[in-house]
Amino acid sequence: MEFDYTPSELMAVAGAREIQDKEVVAVGLGLPVVASFLAKHTCAPKMTILFELGVIDPQPVDQGVGLADPRVWYRANVLSSFVDILGEVLHRGRVDVGFLGGLEVDQYGNLNTSMIGDPKGKFRHMIGSGGANDIASCAKRTIIIMRHEERKLKKAISFITSPGYITGGDSRTRIGLSGGPSRVITDKAIFGFHPETKQMMLISIHPGITLEDVLGTMGFSPIIPEQVPFTEPPTQEQVRLIREEIDPQRMYMGKD
Amino acid sequence: MTKLSTLTEAVASIPSGAHLALSGFAITRCTMAFAREIIRQGITNLTISQCVGAMDADMLVGAGSVNRLIYGGGSLDRFGRLNCVNRGIEEGTLEAEEYSSLSVAFRYLAGALGIPFMPIRSLRGSDLMAQLKEKSGSNLVNITDPFTGEDWPVLKPLLPDVAVVQVQAADEEGNAWIIGPRWDNSEQVRASQRTIVITERVVTDETIRQNPERTTIPGLFVSHVVELPFAAHPTSVYRTYDYDAEQIQAYVEATRTPESFRAFLDQYVYGVRDHWEYLERVGGLQRLNSLQADPVLGY
Repeated sequence: MEFDYTPSELMAVAGAREIQDKEVVAVGLGLPVVASFLAKHTCAPKMTILFELGVIDPQPVDQGVGLADPRVWYRANVLSSFVDILGEVLHRGRVDVGFLGGLEVDQYGNLNTSMIGDPKGKFRHMIGSGGANDIASCAKRTIIIMRHEERKLKKAISFITSPGYITGGDSRTRIGLSGGPSRVITDKAIFGFHPETKQMMLISIHPGITLEDVLGTMGFSPIIPEQVPFTEPPTQEQVRLIREEIDPQRMYMGKD
Repeated sequence: MTKLSTLTEAVASIPSGAHLALSGFAITRCTMAFAREIIRQGITNLTISQCVGAMDADMLVGAGSVNRLIYGGGSLDRFGRLNCVNRGIEEGTLEAEEYSSLSVAFRYLAGALGIPFMPIRSLRGSDLMAQLKEKSGSNLVNITDPFTGEDWPVLKPLLPDVAVVQVQAADEEGNAWIIGPRWDNSEQVRASQRTIVITERVVTDETIRQNPERTTIPGLFVSHVVELPFAAHPTSVYRTYDYDAEQIQAYVEATRTPESFRAFLDQYVYGVRDHWEYLERVGGLQRLNSLQADPVLGY
């Protein structure tokens, strides 16, 4: 049976599929929240969801404006602190997956949420790190979710807020960081990273999108394997869960 | 000895140039009434620190009370960005020392424990680290782990003069409950020289003694206890009242230019005598009553 889904819904579903059951997941706001709760409802019922400010495993019934909104803390198992979540869970090495959004990402998965422009000249300051740098530095792997636009997928980003594979190769491990980004999920495609060079590598293209669409709207050339499959579309049940259970007010998914 | 004070007295205890750690996180438990009184009393040259920049810090920056901000980035969640902080950084009028959330929390923790520095895994390979190291007298350096020989960034302790913390309940000695997540507040209190507690209500000593496991701030750290309902308005206080979305939206609109923000301050800060007149100005009992938290949901 035919049914419609939006690009945001496909991104959330693709994010959810990356999570294994029983994993511990540190979540930033927006699409990562939808992807995480969808995983919890489907493939990973025993996963643990963490919010940096001190929230473990909430079961919200209303959508919030951000992590500071008590709506997203509802029915949590634990309400504690930064030192507890970002320190004794994340920094200690117990977070399997970090789920992050961003303004700009480069071919090595370095993320910018700080500023657009020239940091030494004229720039616009945006949000900064929050827990994003900590999560990108300390989680066993990170999944990046963002829009597929030339001004967001860039050869050189304005500022590295959160480290990916730095300059590629072993440059991340040389500064004492393990982990690193495993996936970049956009509204056109899913990328991974080459095991040696750590360059971004095309993994699948979303149904209805062409390779030219993908490459023509990004600022660098990813590695393209000979066979690039289409991304598995969402199931009707996944879309229903997003629309009816997880984000009925469309606070996180936007209106597209 | 009671530590109960008026807001005016507690604010008057803060000299210009002091370093304040504020308890807000984006749009929740921000020290708003306190910030408005700081502005009215004309206290300036403040250093403000908090793990995640919030509305209390943004208002103080916009009013010209702050020349230095130590924070881990921040926003007003979906309502918007920290327009005053961002403008200050872009125009160079605000000296910002920008970290990640955990780095600031670790700086407070080192201060709270009285240890000389705190190693951290975060910040490596980022422009945050590059930017912090460019500053003279950097609070971030790399050292060699004496046990493993590995290279580690270490952070200098943060020792604020005063922590100002919005809580749900406290007794008159300052034994206080933070209900819900505490983010950086426990470490802020313990790292600071002293703490001003702004409480929605004062409870008896007996109430505290019947529930001692709930005490998140021991009175021994506290110099002033100020009882002030809706002191965090328009931000939320968990299990007490919700944020006032209309007022936060109005704030975001007003902070788009220095001129419109000046008009906003005239209306809601300089144009009111005290907190009680402010509460009337934003709609009085009818408005505030509509923000009361549902006891099950907590908002």
